Amino acid sequence: MKAAWTQALVVCRKELKDWSRDRRSIMTVLISSLLAPGIIGVMFMQLASTQRQLDDVKLPVVGAEYAPALIDWLKQQSGVEIVAGPDDPQEAVRSRVEEVVLVIPDDFAADFKASKPAQVRLVSDGSSQRSRPKIQRVRGLLQRYGSEIGSLRLIARGVSPIVASPVQIEDVEVSSAQQRAAMILGFIPLFVMIAAFTGAMGIATDSTAGERERGSIEALLVNPAPRVAIASGKWIAGTATAMLSVLVTGTLLVVLFRYIPLQDLGIRFRLGPSQLVGFLAVVLPLCPLIVAIQMYVATFAKSFKEAQSYLSFLMMAQMVPGMMATMNNTATKAWMYYVPWIGQQTLLTDVLGNKPISPLIFVVVGVVNVAIAVAAVRATAGLLHKEKIIFGR
Amino acid sequence: MIRIENLHKRFGEVRAVDGVSFIAADGQVTGLLGPNGAGKTTTLRMLYTLMRSDEGNIFVDDVDAEADPQGARLRLGVLPDQSGLYPRLTAREHIEYFGELQGITGVDLRNRTDHLLKMLDMTAIAERRVAGFSHGERTKTALARAIVHNPKNVLLDEPTNGLDVMSTRAVREIIRRLKSEGHTVLFSSHVMQEVSALCDTIVVIARGRIVASGTPDDLRTQTGHHNLEDAFVALSGLEASPA
Repeated sequence: MKAAWTQALVVCRKELKDWSRDRRSIMTVLISSLLAPGIIGVMFMQLASTQRQLDDVKLPVVGAEYAPALIDWLKQQSGVEIVAGPDDPQEAVRSRVEEVVLVIPDDFAADFKASKPAQVRLVSDGSSQRSRPKIQRVRGLLQRYGSEIGSLRLIARGVSPIVASPVQIEDVEVSSAQQRAAMILGFIPLFVMIAAFTGAMGIATDSTAGERERGSIEALLVNPAPRVAIASGKWIAGTATAMLSVLVTGTLLVVLFRYIPLQDLGIRFRLGPSQLVGFLAVVLPLCPLIVAIQMYVATFAKSFKEAQSYLSFLMMAQMVPGMMATMNNTATKAWMYYVPWIGQQTLLTDVLGNKPISPLIFVVVGVVNVAIAVAAVRATAGLLHKEKIIFGR
Repeated sequence: MIRIENLHKRFGEVRAVDGVSFIAADGQVTGLLGPNGAGKTTTLRMLYTLMRSDEGNIFVDDVDAEADPQGARLRLGVLPDQSGLYPRLTAREHIEYFGELQGITGVDLRNRTDHLLKMLDMTAIAERRVAGFSHGERTKTALARAIVHNPKNVLLDEPTNGLDVMSTRAVREIIRRLKSEGHTVLFSSHVMQEVSALCDTIVVIARGRIVASGTPDDLRTQTGHHNLEDAFVALSGLEASPA
């Protein structure tokens, strides 16, 4: 038993040494670790820039001289800048030079003084998706100005302005920046799973299908080491590289989130060291399972290429539950925690959402994973007894 | 010592090994001679326990290889048919890896590795990765890792196949050396000269059966051919009517 352990460690050390010299597999780990922080960073940057556009409105006004009070009020609103309007507002909007133009007719002041509805014209193109938030914002500002003046007039006539507001609307915007940000954050578990998967692939293929392709498996199995020891050594080595990949990704994410101005987007989300610990507690126990399953599948392959095509199917299969959860936003059910992959996705979402989680769940999920992994390693060791696997080339 | 009794193996309808029996004695070189496809490799694979026989017995130093494959492997050093190396490891790392798997460690391992590298004239290439090795250098590396644990019984499957003159000499040198140290050496070959130059006993195998065995002189007398090559051709039935 002790000898078998030593042999497993000998195999593990050799596989890690071999892996560390393989530039291709190192690059794979690096690129896949950069994938998550890279994509998430870009998505947030885009979100932040559209948000900023929304806050800062540059409003071209034609006939500003007819309503100095309105213009002054607009200028006082935060993020509003008044500029001179184009000569032909309708043409300017149609040709998308401007998104929206406010036109104040020359009779505005007269109507306003006479307490008649004074007309302003808002020139916009409703077919343009992009300018819709800006049009909304300008329209909202004008309505607010209107109701403020209305209230003042009522007060001047001794009537409470509340009487004039029989219905009050509260806006609940579901496609807000927060929601979109939450969706982006929802991708994190998926990316981390990919990092674990690609980190495992190097050794999982090289030490199984690779041994078969090179014809080194016969010489290896002639050694008096039990097959389980050999398979375990490879498994431990693969687990180490998968965990390394996850650690790099996690650290990069923590660094990234120090620089993303989440507060500016109105998001209460933190990915600090304490979340990282919870995050690693979820993902690291998954690594042995991913490696064990990859190894079992790759052992059937006669070559790297064959193994890689098997594993890319496996990768797609493991991404399906995560995708579904992200897309559908399905409510979390208790059983979900105990199914590998789905469990990790759910737990990760909880950890990142700062939900309180019972430590027992962590333990149970970890134990389930490792138990299945051990079964898969034993099955792989079983394959190494088969003449078709050893000699089939 | 290796003892094989009435060994059978079939692949579907093909009887690859059909009742093979022979003994390879200590301190002797035994050659398993036969044309391609005669069953040499299959016999050796069963002997080094990676393949199960359908019928028959294999003993390695009185250890039943079928019942206790692990115990048999402890007593064997094998250069298999497929002796692939790990391109990113050096020659020394290959030898040490297998040494460690055999339970050799520390100074012991270092000495043993150095000794083999010197014996096989590989000191100059010891620290180089095997990716750029010639066929001869690869075979020597594979041979060195196969015997790093100084096994009592050495099995070599076509060890000189495709080697140049110098490498062939080095391998023959090793075989003679192992013999003089009292090891049991069993190697397979389809080259007559090879076998006649090295072997104390020749076992001729054809179509999965032993057709003759004995010393080179025995074989000459048995067949009535003075030339061993003619004897081989006659024995393996490669020609329909021997001259």
